[in-house]
Amino acid sequence: MNDDYLWDGSGEPDPEIQKLENRLAKFRHQGEAPEFPRISAARQPRSWRRLVSSNWSFGLAAATATVLFMAAFGILWWSQKPSTNSEPGWDVESVAGTPKVESSAFGGNAGATKLGIGQTLVTDSHSKANISVADIGTVSVETNTRLRLVAGGHGHNRLALDRGTIHAYIWALPGEFTVDTPSAIAVDLGCSYTLEVDDSGAGLLRTKLGWVGFKLDGHEAFIPAGAVCATRPKVGPGTPYFDDASASFRAALSKFDFGASTPEERSAELSRILAESRQRDALTVWHLLARVDESARGSVYDRLATLLPPPSGVSRDGILRLDQKMLDLWWNQLGLGDASLWRTWERSWSEAKS
Amino acid sequence: MTDAPAPRPADDSSLVLAARQGDRAAFGGLYARYARMVHGILLARVPASDVDDLVQDVFLRALPRLRDLRDVARFGPWIAAITRNRANDYYRQTRAVAAVTESLPEDEAELPASNTAPDAEAAAILTFVRSLPETYRETLILRLVEGMTGPEIAVRTGLTPGSVRVNLHRGMQQLREKLNQAALARGLVADSSSGRNAAAQGKNSLRRRNEP
Repeated sequence: MNDDYLWDGSGEPDPEIQKLENRLAKFRHQGEAPEFPRISAARQPRSWRRLVSSNWSFGLAAATATVLFMAAFGILWWSQKPSTNSEPGWDVESVAGTPKVESSAFGGNAGATKLGIGQTLVTDSHSKANISVADIGTVSVETNTRLRLVAGGHGHNRLALDRGTIHAYIWALPGEFTVDTPSAIAVDLGCSYTLEVDDSGAGLLRTKLGWVGFKLDGHEAFIPAGAVCATRPKVGPGTPYFDDASASFRAALSKFDFGASTPEERSAELSRILAESRQRDALTVWHLLARVDESARGSVYDRLATLLPPPSGVSRDGILRLDQKMLDLWWNQLGLGDASLWRTWERSWSEAKS
Repeated sequence: MTDAPAPRPADDSSLVLAARQGDRAAFGGLYARYARMVHGILLARVPASDVDDLVQDVFLRALPRLRDLRDVARFGPWIAAITRNRANDYYRQTRAVAAVTESLPEDEAELPASNTAPDAEAAAILTFVRSLPETYRETLILRLVEGMTGPEIAVRTGLTPGSVRVNLHRGMQQLREKLNQAALARGLVADSSSGRNAAAQGKNSLRRRNEP
């Protein structure tokens, strides 16, 4: 018996599957649609272009007409949430010692508090804390850490890590949780990761699950599970690499990203990186395409093509001129995640900032 | 099997755009189209008794966030992601993992005797489906419980048809193995406790047990 019946109900019926369907039908969705509130059309556009192009005056009128209804709905909805916590800010609990929110210490008998927007959480050498990030995840705060809550709620949750170490486990939609550091912004794309920042503002991001975007101005890095990426003030994110890469590969990459001061030094380090790259290091080599001078891009292309043949639709000429679509197609070939996810949220994020 | 045709992305787009403009009927249309998918994804993760409430909660959460949906043709994958996140939230908020009575660990689940109530048997079967790897159990529940076809699952979840077909095939294969093992184990238990015809029971597959 083939799978046609299981696939689309065609072909010879499989009696075993029919029995299962009959038994399990009792769990099938039966509910009717609830009465949905209207949405404020004025909240839709984010960029000025969309604002101008949309019928915003109508939206504004609609928003005015519906704001009372939305407010009532919001109050009703939040009052029915399981959480009884109605104060603004995120819940913070002490895990060790007595961390501080602003100047108020908590821990011991006062083991929990709130971190409000604009407030700073500080741990010393003996204290640690856990933050509940709205409804979307948790952040563990290690010792000697200082971080601020910049924004919270409505799909826009943002921390600023001035120094120290955090472990983030986020299950929100991609792009809803970001962490500013002095040298890059980490954008959660559905993941678990550790982020460290030292006193100079240099950082290191290590992804455990999913992947993270790391960005400063036009400098960006995609960091999948098992990969690491360093960042430096005024430079931004370096080139990500898998943490099982050879020591000499990592040393050359560090010099290429942050240490080499002349074009000749960079060229020498690039040659070492390409020569030592394994198939798995295609992650790193792909990133290098956009990080090298045009004159060196051909050699990076050749190495990447050896490690991972370019898919259909990707040409050497296109890659040499950094055609975004082709770069993304090749990235997708790595099997580490779909680049469109990042592009989508990058646009959304840029518009939210503007 | 459902008679509802798989939605075309263009249809979703127009509904999303209208819903963004405050058209409640349009959002109701999206609900009608995707409620089964949302229900199935939740049923793969949380207790059945809470699923209906959570379905409504997912749509109420999605409603004010429609403006964040960049590609209006991808409403399905978008709300599927919200649904999976909501299921994660459920456990975080209720801390009720241990209380999911119908979600017994695989080795604790057992098939009831063939003469027990259909409800008990259905619950047992659902437990076995939910013991499958996440990818398989979600697809299999959409197919076996919600009555969606493979092509429909692909269109609505954003998975490729190939992935859905593989998930269905492998998931069904694993489910058959688990059900047959359970049927065999039940026969052995019956043999040791009552001395009844264990050999015959032990050889019963689910297929034979369910035959009228």
